[in-house]
Amino acid sequence: MVALTLSPTKTLFLNSHLLHSTFKPHFINPHSTKTHSLHSSRFLSFNLVTCKLKSPQDIKNKDKNISKKIVLSEAAPSLAEKRGDGGGGGGEGNGNGEVRAKSGGSVMRLVKRFPRKVLGILSNLPLAIGEMFAVAALMALGTFIDQGEAPDFYFQKYPEDNPVLGFFTWRWVLTLGFDHMYSSPVFLGTLVLLGASLMACTYTTQIPLVKVARRWNFLDSSEAIRKQEYSDTLPRASVQDLGVLLMGAGYEVFLKGPSLYAFKGLAGRFAPIGVHLAMLLIMAGGTLSAAGSFRGSVTVPQGLNFVVGDVLGPTGFLSTPTDAFNTEVHINRFYMDYYDSGEVSQFHTDLSLFDLDGKEIMRKTISVNDPLRYGGITIYQTDWSFSALQILKDDEGPFNLAMAPLKINGDKKLFGTFLPVGDAELPNVKGISMLARDLQSIVIYDLEGKFSGVRRPGSKLPIDIDGSRIVIVDAIGSSGLDLKTDPGVPIVYAGFGALMLTTCISFLSHTRIWALQDGTMVVIGGKTNRAKAEFPEEMDRLLDRVPEIVESSRSEEPDNVSG
Amino acid sequence: MISSILEHILIHISFSVVSIVITIRLLILLVNEIAGLYDSSKKGIITTFVCITGLLVTRWIYSRHLPLSDLYESFIFLSWSLSIIHMVPYLKKHKNHLSAITAPIVILTQGFATSGFLTEMHQSRILVPALQSHWLMMHVSMMVLGYAALLCGSLLSVALIVITFRKIIRTFDKSNNESFSFGEIQYINERNNVLWNTPFISSKNYYRSQLIQQLDHWSYRIISLGFIFLTMGILSGAVWANEAWGSYWNWDPKETWAFITWTIFAIYLHIRTNPNLEGVNSAIVASLGFLIIWICYLGVNLLGIGLHSYGTFTLTSN
Repeated sequence: MVALTLSPTKTLFLNSHLLHSTFKPHFINPHSTKTHSLHSSRFLSFNLVTCKLKSPQDIKNKDKNISKKIVLSEAAPSLAEKRGDGGGGGGEGNGNGEVRAKSGGSVMRLVKRFPRKVLGILSNLPLAIGEMFAVAALMALGTFIDQGEAPDFYFQKYPEDNPVLGFFTWRWVLTLGFDHMYSSPVFLGTLVLLGASLMACTYTTQIPLVKVARRWNFLDSSEAIRKQEYSDTLPRASVQDLGVLLMGAGYEVFLKGPSLYAFKGLAGRFAPIGVHLAMLLIMAGGTLSAAGSFRGSVTVPQGLNFVVGDVLGPTGFLSTPTDAFNTEVHINRFYMDYYDSGEVSQFHTDLSLFDLDGKEIMRKTISVNDPLRYGGITIYQTDWSFSALQILKDDEGPFNLAMAPLKINGDKKLFGTFLPVGDAELPNVKGISMLARDLQSIVIYDLEGKFSGVRRPGSKLPIDIDGSRIVIVDAIGSSGLDLKTDPGVPIVYAGFGALMLTTCISFLSHTRIWALQDGTMVVIGGKTNRAKAEFPEEMDRLLDRVPEIVESSRSEEPDNVSG
Repeated sequence: MISSILEHILIHISFSVVSIVITIRLLILLVNEIAGLYDSSKKGIITTFVCITGLLVTRWIYSRHLPLSDLYESFIFLSWSLSIIHMVPYLKKHKNHLSAITAPIVILTQGFATSGFLTEMHQSRILVPALQSHWLMMHVSMMVLGYAALLCGSLLSVALIVITFRKIIRTFDKSNNESFSFGEIQYINERNNVLWNTPFISSKNYYRSQLIQQLDHWSYRIISLGFIFLTMGILSGAVWANEAWGSYWNWDPKETWAFITWTIFAIYLHIRTNPNLEGVNSAIVASLGFLIIWICYLGVNLLGIGLHSYGTFTLTSN
């Protein structure tokens, strides 16, 4: 009996040592029992029962307090969410709802709750992940299905009697608009949903998280500190020394009595919000680009003009022409640079811009990678073609022979022209054929179709074929230009810049460290949100440098534990 | 001519050194840790790095433009960036087995670059007009660095999955065995189990779970780094496209696949924010990303479609 009752007292004693003040009144009883006889042990056991009942409860209470404190610092998004929803911190939607709810009945309450519910659903992480997967899958599908072909193409490629994977036919492609995937309602709808999720998540989860992360909270019990992901105890050290060291390591340090709080890399918490906002900015810019652009392409022979407005066509309902559309563009010269091996190294077009009065307002030689920009209009060098061949025949002329594209196989272009000899009215007229791959050299074939020579334009070297003497004076190229206006570009570029910056900052790990001076002992705990592998090593290195206090706490003689 | 011979020598040295290093690393991982072997593998990796750097520099001087213009060159650059990622733990004096897991990817890329597929591309070519831009260096180097880091990170995740599932299969086997022989040897084994087996197994499990956690943390960190590079690469590519092709986004297949890769790793990073889904779930996404990087990097070039067809090669040409 005694032994039975005594063992709890011992445990109690141990427990009470931890919880200093609360159990002092009970202390006297267990001590006194040792001297008492068996009779009193009953009384004692009763007394102990109360103690036992009380002690775990107290411990629990204490635990609860601690855990509550941790909840405050750790899982506070939910807490802050509640607060944010509770009227005061809410947004416009909430305010409107409240006004309506006062005037109306339960229906209005539903209306009030509705946006919050939608917000809650949208900010759901699994949903967002699902949306991202959907976007990725649709994009992948878009690369597998040939885009922008005529319906006949899909009838042949995805026939109904032999469906791909057993179910995928042209009906799927055409009804869902997968023949123009990246502008199909399915794809755009998923993107819009993703954008909505982005906004909802930023509003309901990320911003409250930062509010919490910014709060400085000291932890006042060593147990709470020991519960952190990383924890360590320094037997003889002072929390001040640790603070100085942490400051040296780039931490913001706060000291309050025996407890210390330090953090680093708070920007790493903010940055994901920036990433989301940048994504929204890019999405907005992309929408503006799609809705408010003009595009057009034109192939103009050297020496001719065109008006910008004639080429550009609107892409969306927001496209509005500007004054700059009246500008006239003159192709002064089109030429190519060649490598020694004969391959094209660069295309150049010398452009002049004239306003309505015929005054030259700008002149620039553009090339691939170097477009011309004027008044929101951008002119790109994208293509080229062989317009005409200028020749002298028997010193007459010059004649311009139009060149026709013969075979276009990727970038390998081939142009040809035909100079009739004799009466051109006859049904099977014979003549001289001239072929060219670029503006550099012309291959000439005689009436029989036999090779007769190669001439360079402008070389003035004549070639004699069947009695007629031909000189190739010049090769006139035409420049393929792409024109566009895009009001979305500045917004998209701003988004790009923000995204680049914030993604980099997101790499920073937000580290928080708590420490508590417990007698001569310092308890240290900390956690970090990203660099979980490096953090313990970094902390170990740092704590190795904390000076050890050798004698009693009064005679402080700092001494490095390890070099 | 001299430079092409030099290139040839360098590429073969680096290839053979990498293969030796991998053998050594695997030996260390599987058999035992021998200090001498560890040192030699460290030297081997540095030799590889120097060789590939030499190769790239030779090619740069020889062709007078950055060696990033076609698939062969980007492959060499990929293995160069992978070897940099390898070097980091050595420079930081971490002694871990992570590089044994990522090392094979170097031999893979190096081997592919030297193999017959790309022999036609070994001669450095001229730059087509569209590539003559300062963005070339920024865009391609960022993309390839991003691929390298993401490949390393997702390979660590693949290793994590393999280790985890092997553990599950083993425990499944063990539980099967136990239930089978439960009645017979229950009493005999009880004491032994308590005294010997439990601490042994738990310590083994402890190391395994530590390894898994290390893999998890490192793959997350490396993937985050690769994600930054990939973002920069895609964005600089978009800016370049706005200069050269007329729009910052053209839905070109390569572009689209780069964006798919980006989305997949964005999903990975989002899954990581939920502590319940850490570990295996995120690792599955990362290993999916591993496949998608290869589709993006090679698959699109194999098909040779779209605007990015500079590095196209045909399999039938051999």
